[in-house]
Parts: sequence; structure tokens; C-alpha cells
Amino acid sequence: MYQTPKISRRTILRGMGVSLALPWLESTTPAVRAAGAQQPPVRMGFIFVPNGVNVHQWFPRKVGYGFDMPYVLEPLKQFREDLLVFTGLTHDKGRANGDGPGDHARAASVFLTGAQPRKTDGDNIRVGVSVDQVAAKAVGHLTRFSSLELGIHPGQNAGNCDSGYSCAYSSNISWASETTPMGKEVNPRLVFERLFAGGKPSEVEKSRWQRLELKKSVLDFVQESARRLEPRLSYHDRRKVDEYLSGIREIERRMDLATAPETRDIEVDYPVPDGIPKDYREHIRLMCDMAVLAFQTDSTRIFTLMFANAGDNKNYRHIGVSDGHHDLSHHRDDPVKLEKIAKINRFHVEQFRYLLERLKSVQEGDGTLLDHSMIVYGSGIHDGNRHNNENLPVVLAGRGGGTIDSGRHVRYDTETPMCNLFLSMLERMDVHVPYIGDSTGKLPGLTV
Amino acid sequence: MDTIVNRVNAARSIAGSCHRQARGIVLGAVFGWLAIGALGGPVYGDEGPEATGSRPDALLSVYCYDCHTGDGAEGGVQLDFLQRTDVDLSNHVEVMEKAIRVLRERQMPPADMDQPDDRERVALLTWIEQRLHSFDCGAVQSPGRVTLRRLNRAEYNNTVRDLTGLDLQLANDFPSDDVGHGFDNIGDVLTIPPILMEKYVDAAMKIAEKVVADDRARRQVFPYQPEGVKDTTRLIEFARNNIRHFGLRAFRRPLTEAEEQRFFEFARSRFEAGDLPAVVQQAIIAAMLTSPDFLFHMELAPDEAYTDGIRRLNDFELANRLSYFLWSSMPDDELFELAGAGKLGTPQALTEQALRMLRDEKSQALVENFAGQWLQLRQLDRITPDPELFPDFDKSLRDAARKETELLFRHIMVNDRSVLELLNADYTFVNQRLANHYGIRGVEENGFVRVQLPNRRGVLMHTSILLITSNPTRTSPVKRGKWVLDNLLGEPPPPPPPDVPELSESAETLGTLRQQMEQHRANPNCAVCHDKMDALGFGLENFDVIGKWRDTDGRYPIDASGELPGGRRFEGPIELIAILADEKKTEFVRCLTQRMLTYALGRGLTVGDRCTVSQIVDHVAQHDYRFSALIEGIVSSPQFMMQAKGD
Repeated sequence: MYQTPKISRRTILRGMGVSLALPWLESTTPAVRAAGAQQPPVRMGFIFVPNGVNVHQWFPRKVGYGFDMPYVLEPLKQFREDLLVFTGLTHDKGRANGDGPGDHARAASVFLTGAQPRKTDGDNIRVGVSVDQVAAKAVGHLTRFSSLELGIHPGQNAGNCDSGYSCAYSSNISWASETTPMGKEVNPRLVFERLFAGGKPSEVEKSRWQRLELKKSVLDFVQESARRLEPRLSYHDRRKVDEYLSGIREIERRMDLATAPETRDIEVDYPVPDGIPKDYREHIRLMCDMAVLAFQTDSTRIFTLMFANAGDNKNYRHIGVSDGHHDLSHHRDDPVKLEKIAKINRFHVEQFRYLLERLKSVQEGDGTLLDHSMIVYGSGIHDGNRHNNENLPVVLAGRGGGTIDSGRHVRYDTETPMCNLFLSMLERMDVHVPYIGDSTGKLPGLTV
Repeated sequence: MDTIVNRVNAARSIAGSCHRQARGIVLGAVFGWLAIGALGGPVYGDEGPEATGSRPDALLSVYCYDCHTGDGAEGGVQLDFLQRTDVDLSNHVEVMEKAIRVLRERQMPPADMDQPDDRERVALLTWIEQRLHSFDCGAVQSPGRVTLRRLNRAEYNNTVRDLTGLDLQLANDFPSDDVGHGFDNIGDVLTIPPILMEKYVDAAMKIAEKVVADDRARRQVFPYQPEGVKDTTRLIEFARNNIRHFGLRAFRRPLTEAEEQRFFEFARSRFEAGDLPAVVQQAIIAAMLTSPDFLFHMELAPDEAYTDGIRRLNDFELANRLSYFLWSSMPDDELFELAGAGKLGTPQALTEQALRMLRDEKSQALVENFAGQWLQLRQLDRITPDPELFPDFDKSLRDAARKETELLFRHIMVNDRSVLELLNADYTFVNQRLANHYGIRGVEENGFVRVQLPNRRGVLMHTSILLITSNPTRTSPVKRGKWVLDNLLGEPPPPPPPDVPELSESAETLGTLRQQMEQHRANPNCAVCHDKMDALGFGLENFDVIGKWRDTDGRYPIDASGELPGGRRFEGPIELIAILADEKKTEFVRCLTQRMLTYALGRGLTVGDRCTVSQIVDHVAQHDYRFSALIEGIVSSPQFMMQAKGD
């Protein structure tokens, strides 16, 4: 099916002039590779967009292969064979279920958790572990970073985010535990430095080792300090110190990996990003580049990316929409507003296309990086005017290492849990859990 | 109080004879607007509800119980408990307060249900108020419990600055701190995701490197420099002194002997492993700055020795609370000395120190972090009015707008003015850019100066607030009204029903705006909130999206008159603010107190805090509403000085 390229230790990331190593290949001998024992790993990524979509311009009419692509999805035309477009997936726990208003906060916090967020402005925040973190716990130890959390906007820094829900619910989709959101990095420079700093071969080996050794001894010391504290703490306080300790363990794990010989010489020839670009499109694209670089170097196999926080109300003047996105999303079927929403939706999809282009441009094994990935793109709300959570706009790109028959529009019964998709994706990452969120089983129909 | 009683009596005498409409007006005058805030105690003297002839339990079943009983109660509000004598009313304070509010404001019963007449309403209100006050503040109240909270970004930056003398601002690269209860210093919300721990460790390593490379910083961190000393015993003594010195500051409390010994052993092991002295110092600094005792505001829960589960904080913990409240940073030498001498643990000492600290430049942190979040000035960065409609707007205006409000807050704080001036100051601080914007002549180029205002009063007419309560293309009276209710009066309107778009009016021109208002009025369920919100917002219509004065909107002349619920009419913004500053000052002070106490404690307030809040509000009122009285009330409250046992 694919032309098998000659795999060298280095490959060129087209268009960016980046050369880098493929660490997942390094530990294998050519003989083993020839026997086909080492497949490229399967990766997963999740992209969140706020405020629902213009549903008239999103859902294809034709089901199955050769589906039509309405205005919003049209930019993905060249990737039709790499996509599954879903109709009918639902996040029941995004509904009020007695909790009253706050659909935006719920839409983000339910998006990857499938859990009903506890309505609180601060005390005892709780939702559920998100699908990416379920995967990270199972396979994260195989890579330097268990997972990568990316975003464009930092959390809101004052006021009330949504109707009595703490802002933590609106600005995070990734949750390490029921009570700890993962936070996210919005500055591409910092992502880059985090991923690749310290890996430059030019660095003097000895001083680097010394610094690592110093850091290690400091971590040992403070870990012991924290353990001594624990018995004297109340339940809630202990939770905080637990977060502290698991953070330390994650750093230690990475340091151990970083000193392991087979992963030591990641070399990236990509210009260090300057910081946060003023231009929104450029910002999203840089973040996409970071995700691709992370996958390509097998620094992680899991990422999440919020194109904007829940309920975001920024304007899109650069594409001729000067109203705030959230204000617009309450369109009351006004055709002018619907048209503007479609434009915003399409703009976001165009940025998604950029990510797919990058992933597809990377040859890996007998295919491309996109072939070995599963990228979910969607919103936790169907229609911003109705604030409803059934039939969510969701697409899945990539073939999951040949485990997905893409190129189709698949229709499910309306109340099919979105979490069933997550369960099926986890299975493809070789992560086997009985359920996630409100899943009722695996999602049929990913293969024909 | 007399006035209220007289009015009530008047209402009672009229009630029997007048027809429905007239009664509504009188009722409005009594309950809708004026009587709010008169609830300090039983309003109606000895004349209990029995005297009216209406039995409250009968009234409850006629007017309330259709919807508000049992599991399926409307909005989850059950009122059954009101009639029972065997319930602990302290578990129902919020519901009772809400019931009083909605009854008083005629939000309940809903307009399409049977309405009690004013006599019955009085009876019900009086009865619920008596129930509410029956358990009240005499009993022992828990001071509450603050969940172990970590330093937030501002606190981290300031602490490192004051600890090392190096203003490195490393926390700017940390992930943003999530906000809860309106602030970014709430213990329950400040989690440590792995990425933050990683940044903490990297920052500590970096700070350690910078400190040992900078002679001045090194001397500040480790003042005992054993230059020329060869004697091992003395060298050890120096090392221990340094550990003790830096430990006290980094942990904001003296190290225990065991801790000191651990750090010393750590240093010795590094030294014996062959590290250069500078590297040993680096290791100590990095270990201190990565320790939970540095990163958290460590207050251990009361142990079994405290039989009532309540512990008075020790002086070092108080110094820590005080300095992070007012400075968003660590205590200074004076606070450490007082704490060390055991002289900080009284309300007098805390107040005296607080006032000293407010005069210090570092109190700018209270302006930026408290006022910046309370008044939402931080949102300004995200505001961009449509450039085609408002070509006047630019970054210099945005910056000046923020600065103006910060300067007014700072002025009131430093000069101990009345906090009511936040509402009605007839002066402000402008630079040339802002002076032009306001049409004030004669302001020179250099910085900000104080000016008198002809047609504006208080923060509500500052460009900053007007900007953050507008949409990009037009003003939003609803947003402005809601902002006042949320942030100045502490009476957030309930959210709209789910099928109504929240604050969505993007195509609102004046014409359609009026139509929407009429929809509100036509639908009584909307009217209960929008009457108030919209009236407040329309009173500010003379100010456009970017806070500039206007007499017309397009071709329509601005009508900034309005009527508040209860019938108080006003002509324009200055009359509106005069009504607020006079008749709603208690609500304003209560709201400010609640916000500031939340910020000072780093936790959301609970019903257990309401007595303290009321006492602070009274205290502020008795002291001419001075800023210092507010600070005094907060730092000498049990909530601030004590800690209760957690779960």
C-alpha cells in the first residue's frame, strides 16, 4: 500500500528543514526490523474547540465512504480518506443533570473525561481522569514525557468563568486524577525547551551529568521532606502533597530515561520559537508543530490541545468576524450569525488540516506519522445556541496503525457515549480498561 | 431604622384599603429597594407576626409549598425545615437568606402565581428573619479551614525577589493559576500538575545558580561568609548559621533542630562527595526552594491536643498570612523579629503591622492582585473593541485605564480614605491620554495627576470598568448592570433559564435593545432580574464602549434615566451612583468585605463566616468607612487568626 522508504537514522521533516533522530528505532537491530517485530507506536491526540459549531455546515449527509464535506469540513477534503466523521456521539455528563447553568465549563471538563464535573467555584473540584491520562498512566513510561498538554490561551485570571464552576473546569481538558487538572503550556518556546533542552549534543557531557546528579540529590532530599510531612496532614492537605510527590516522581522517571543510552541523543534542528506569536493562526500552528515534533521524536505518544478555552469570546477579525465567538454562538438561528460561526469553525478546521499535513509529511515505517496516529477533533457542545450535548461534532483522523478503516462518515444512535470511542482508542494503544467515564462498551464500526 | 418602621406601619395602614396597583408601589418602597440592608436585627420590634393575624406556617403552605417541598422541590430549594423545631438551622442559612431576598424583592412567588398581600409578606419575612437570627452569632463559630495552598505565580515571583534580591520573574513561565471564588490564590483550586512541579524544580536550580554567581545575592542568602576561616569547627558553625538564616526566610518560620540537622548533613554529604563550596550552596538553595515548606503556606492542622479542633495560629504563621495578604510576598525582617519575640499574636499588633505594611511600596501587590481581580482589571488585556468603530482605542488607553483604577484604589488605601469613595469619588487620576479621553484640559505630559471630575463618579465610570462590561461593537447595559450586582453589591442575579441565551445581544442596536427590554418586561420571569440589571446599565449609557462620554448613540439621543426596583428614579449616572452610595452602602461594604476576606484567607467563604463578615461591616461603618477599619476587621478576625481542624 505504501512505498516503503529507506529508513535512515535521520529523516527530514519536509518544509521545516528539521532533521532529527527516530529513537523508537534505535534499540532495534536491522534483523529484528526486517522480521517486522518493531512497528511504529500508535499515538493519540485530542483537539478541543469551544462553543459548539454551525451544525448545518458540519455534518455530512451521505453515510459511509465517499461522504460529502460541507463548508466547515471542506478544508479537510484532501484528507477525506484519513478521516472518520461521526454522527451521534454524546456526552451525557455534559448536560446539567440537575446542576443548572454552566454548559461551557461542563463541555470542556466532560470532553475527555465523560464525567459530571462537581459544581463548585473552588472547594473540592472534581471530575474524572481523562482518556489521555488513562493512556499516559499505561504507556507514558515508554517515552520521556507521559503526555503533552498544549493550549493557546492561559486560564482566565480573574472573575467567574461560568455560572458557579471554577475556572479550572473551563481551561483544562486533561485531568491527571479526579481532582488534578494537568494544566497546559501555551508558549511554544517553553514547549520546545521542555521537549528538547538538554538534548543538544554540543553540550559538554560532564557538566550536564553533574547537573543531573545535583538535581537528583535535591529531589531525593525534598521527597523525604514531603514524606515526613504526610502523616501530619489532613485529608485535603495530603492530596496537595500527593500531587507534589507524583510530580517529583515524574521528573525522576524522565531523568532516568534521559540518561539511558538509547534515548540520549535526540537532536532537533528546528528553530527555537520566539515565544507566543501575536497572530492566532501562527500560534496554533506552532503548537501543532510542537505536537508533531514530540510525536516524531517519540518524546511522547499522547497530546491534548485546546484551540481556545471553553466559552471563549474572542473575535476573529482576521477572517472578517468582529463579534465575540461565544456571543455569536447564541445565534437564535439568525442566518448572518450562523454564517459567521461557520467561518470561525472553518478557520479552526483549517488549522487542524495544518496539523494533519505535518503528520502526513513524516514518513515512518511503512507509512506516515498520521497513519500511526489517532487524532480526535471536536467540541463538547453540538450547537452553541441550544447548548446540547448529543450528536457532538467529532472527527477522528489517522488510521491508528492500520486498525481503523478511515474515509467514512459513520452514524450512530444519538445517545451513543463518546466514551465508547475513547475505550476503542485506548484498546488500540494497548491500554485495556473496563470502562472510561460513562462508556458502555467499545464503539463498533471503526473498521469495516 | 425608625424610618423603616414608620414606613412599614404606613404600609400596614394603607394595605387594607388600597387597590392592587397602589399597594404595589408602597410595597416596592418598603421591600424592593430601601429595606435591603436594614436586616441587622428584627425590624418590627415586639410586634411579631402573630399580631398580624397571619400564621406563617399557613402562609408557607399557601404561597411556597406548592413548589418548595420534598425531593422534587423547584430549583432544589426545600423550605420544609422552616416549620420544624428539631433542625439545626445553621445548616440552612443560605436557603433562609435566599428566601428573604427573593421574598423582599418580590421575585417569589413568581408573578404568575398567587401573590401574598403586603401584610402577609411582612409576616413571612419577619418570621423567617427571626428564625435566621435565632441561632446566631453568640454561639462558638468555627474559624474555618484553609486547604494547604501553594504559592501562586505572583507570590512565587515576589518571594524569590525578597528572598534573594534577584527579581527573576521565573513564574511568568509557569502554567496559569486557576481561579476559584474570583481569585487565583484559593488553596483548593491551586493544584500541582506534573508540569508545574517540573517548573518548580527547574526554577529552583536556576535561582540557585544565579544566587551563587551574584555576590550581593549570595550575601543576602548566606550572610555568614567565612572568609579566611580555616578552623573546621568554626566553618561548621558558619554553615549552620547560614542554613538557619536562609531556612527561616525560605520557610517563613524557624527550622526545627531536626530539619537544620538534615540540611546540614545534606550539605556535608555533598561536600564530602567533592563538590566545590559554591555547588554545595547551590544544592542547599535548590533543596530549600523545592521543599514543600517553601512552596506551600504550611499550616499544620490542630492535633489531638486541641480538644475543640481549633488552633490559634502561631506568630510565624500569622506573619506569613499577613504578608501574603498585603504584599503577596514573604514577611520582612520586622515581622520575623516580632514573630520571633512572640509579639505578633494580638489583634492590636496585627493591625499595627498591617497599617505599616500598607504604607510600604510592596502593598502595590494588594492593588494589583486583590483589586485587579475583584474589579476584574486583569480582564482588560483581553478586551479589544472593534477598531473600525473605535479607532480611538489603543494600548496606551488600555494601560491608562487600568492605572487609573489602580491609583484610585491605592489612594484610598494609602491615605485611609472611605471605601465608599470607590463608588462616588468626584476625583480621579489621569495622564494626558486619559485626560483627553475624558475631555479634561490642562494635564501635562508627565505621568498621572489627580483631577476633579465634572461628569463622572467612582470606579463605575472609569474607562476600565466601562470597557470590560462592553461588547466589542456596542455597550451592553445588561453586562454593566450584572457587573454592578456581582461585584459591587454582592447580589449576583440568578442565571437565566437554560433556554435563554446568556448575555447574548450581539446584533443589539438601540432599536432592538428596546425590543429586548420590552420582552423582559413582558415576561415576569425575566423582569425580576432584568428590571434591576437593565436600569443600572441604562444609567451608564452616556459612556460608550471605550468609556467616552456621549450624548447620542448613532442618531438616537441617550436616555440615561431609569427607575430602580422600588421606584427610585434617577436622571443620569451621577444620580444613579448617589443612590447606590447612599442606600446601598451596606451591601457594597459587605460585598467588598466578603471579597477581601476570601482573598486574605485563600478560601471561599461559608455560612460559618457570615457573623464575622457582619461584624466587620459594622466595624467599618462605625469608623467612617475607612479602609484601615476594613483591614483591621479582617486581620483581627478569628478566621484570620485561627485554623480549624479539617477532614
